[in-house]
Amino acid sequence: MTTTLAGGRAARRQTMRRIRPRRSPATVLLLAVFAGAVGVLWLWWHNTPSIADQNGKILNAGRITGLLAGYLMALVVLQMARVPALERRVGSDRVARWHAMSGRYTLCLVFAHVFLIMWGYALQAGKTLGDIVQQTIDSINQLPDMGKAAIGTGLFVLIGLTSIGPVRRRLPYDTWYHVHLLTYGAVFLTFWHQITTGNDFAIEPTAKTFWYVLYGSVTGLVIWYRILTPIRLNMRHRMRVEAVIEEAPGIVSVLIGGRKLHRMGAQAGQFFRWRFLAPGMRFSSHPYSLSAAPRPDMLRITVKAIGDHSERLRELTPGTRVWAEGPYGAMTAQRRSRGKVLLVAGGVGITPMRALFETLPGAAGDITLLYRANTTQDLALWDELAAIADDRGARLMYAVNSPDGERPDISADRLRQKLPDIDRHDVFMCGPAGFAQSVYEALRGAGVPARRIHHESFEM
Amino acid sequence: MKKSHPIRRVVLATAATVSGVVLMLSLKPASDPNAQAAGAAPQQTAAAQQSPQGGASAAGSANGTIDGNVAQTQYGNVQVRLTVANGKITKAEAIQAPKGGTSDQKTALSIPKLTQETVTAQSAQIDSVSGATYTSNGYKQSLQSALDKMKASAGSSKPSASASQGSGSGSGGAAQAKTVTGSVAQTQYGPVQVRITVANGKITKAEAVQAPKGGLSDQKTALAIPKLNQEAVAAGTAQIDSVSGATYTSGGYKQSLQSALDQAGG
Repeated sequence: MTTTLAGGRAARRQTMRRIRPRRSPATVLLLAVFAGAVGVLWLWWHNTPSIADQNGKILNAGRITGLLAGYLMALVVLQMARVPALERRVGSDRVARWHAMSGRYTLCLVFAHVFLIMWGYALQAGKTLGDIVQQTIDSINQLPDMGKAAIGTGLFVLIGLTSIGPVRRRLPYDTWYHVHLLTYGAVFLTFWHQITTGNDFAIEPTAKTFWYVLYGSVTGLVIWYRILTPIRLNMRHRMRVEAVIEEAPGIVSVLIGGRKLHRMGAQAGQFFRWRFLAPGMRFSSHPYSLSAAPRPDMLRITVKAIGDHSERLRELTPGTRVWAEGPYGAMTAQRRSRGKVLLVAGGVGITPMRALFETLPGAAGDITLLYRANTTQDLALWDELAAIADDRGARLMYAVNSPDGERPDISADRLRQKLPDIDRHDVFMCGPAGFAQSVYEALRGAGVPARRIHHESFEM
Repeated sequence: MKKSHPIRRVVLATAATVSGVVLMLSLKPASDPNAQAAGAAPQQTAAAQQSPQGGASAAGSANGTIDGNVAQTQYGNVQVRLTVANGKITKAEAIQAPKGGTSDQKTALSIPKLTQETVTAQSAQIDSVSGATYTSNGYKQSLQSALDKMKASAGSSKPSASASQGSGSGSGGAAQAKTVTGSVAQTQYGPVQVRITVANGKITKAEAVQAPKGGLSDQKTALAIPKLNQEAVAAGTAQIDSVSGATYTSGGYKQSLQSALDQAGG
């Protein structure tokens, strides 16, 4: 069975759409985050008329770090709430990197806060830094909600430890993921001591209200977009596995049927997080890109068998129920500006490129796809790509290793030679990190501006 | 797809955070300028019309005005001035109170209540105004010190300026009075040490030179110590009631008080 999902009417209609570039809201969002941080610092500034001594300085440093940590903690959770504006316009990969970065920073603030406050209290009680442990125990016993906060902080330590690079790489993904879910509990437990012992919230009812609104709306967004939205999506579309097809050595496509799939709002270049309700697979979900424009009755993903999970995809039987969350991802037609487009795919990175190749708006000769693989056998979906290229008058090039294993030359000069007007192209790129990095440098060397190179990477 | 430099990022984030926090801390003054200058000014002028020389006018009789010590609170200084006639407080006012931001409101709300309570209670055993706990505690501290001075000047036949000023010892001008400091009693929340002033075999004044601090201890100390001081003066012995909610502090206080009494007796 050859499955060319190419040539659908829906896809052809998309190629004739007007190009409407949209800017990523990243800059605006970052400015808003900074403005919020300034507001939080102002709260402290406003409520602290003076600092009498060294001890007061330590305590106030603890208060500042605590306030900032409380503020950022809400945003760290918000970044993983799967809010469409973040997932589809900023890009899931970028948001995930922000989340990792801000999460580390916030945990450091939390630990600094605990240390400084306990040190300050110890000094205030006439003790020394050495009594900090005893002071911590006393404070947990005496101050309201500190027991909860201590348990929450313990969870944060655990979550932080399992997310350190080398530890995380050794842990099974599922273990790391389920430990990470404890964050919700930890945030809940540490929230209350902020309100009951936080100096600024005790004297400033407005600040307290703001804090409740901040944490309340984040909770609302998490419940809405992580729980209710996926339930509604899957109730409506009822997806099942239709077939599993071997495309190239080690690369399989999974065809997924369901109801009114074109109503999911998925665009070429986007992905879903898939959970296959088969033994051993139901407890984890994985992001895989659509490898064809969605059809009303059919979606397709194409996956390289590299991990446990993707290896098992081969054995999926038709009829297996599928739970999907999405669509996510910002590497869509909206990213481009009005010029020509070059798509660069490395290996299985062809999946989103294949969908974009079919649907990106543009006239004949506007779209070029460069496909890099080890051998010609590894060029999955080649027949479809050739058909699409024929159909819409697009250029299709491939680069494979020479028979003696030598890598093809993808350099700035070579790119300019193939596409003399490359500096007027938008470039979409998907592939392994090393490949993406070297192509990025070649593209920059060939005069493509950084803002016109669109790339998605899920490696931290 | 720009090259990422994790180490550089860590160093930058740490440096920016630490220097930001240090900068903000160093920009804060050591004492609240608003509270002393702008805040106290109108009240001070009002008070000045009645008694040009604050504490000193208490000299010679039990009449006049007495200024309490300045109590430093988180939001600014509090200082109480009492007007005394025939050993009774006829008027209480705050010559310093927290100012600026929401403190203005809180001061406006709490100080009139506190001063009224003072005149009614004739002691520092007054209720805190809810929502203005720090100010109330500071007020009570300053009030207690003013009451101590009032007692000291009333008890001594030849009061001097130092009596009305004496913050710590209070023994400066009192005839035959001696101050004895008890031994340090260690409690779970910190050391307690009591100093008493004894005149004619009676405790005329008791104060804590050390008391638990930090966290909730601040509140408990502010609550318990004035009560204990008063009880000690009233009872003349270490047989005083513990303050509920501050058992450890009370225990330490009694221990140190007993040792002070032992020294005074010997």
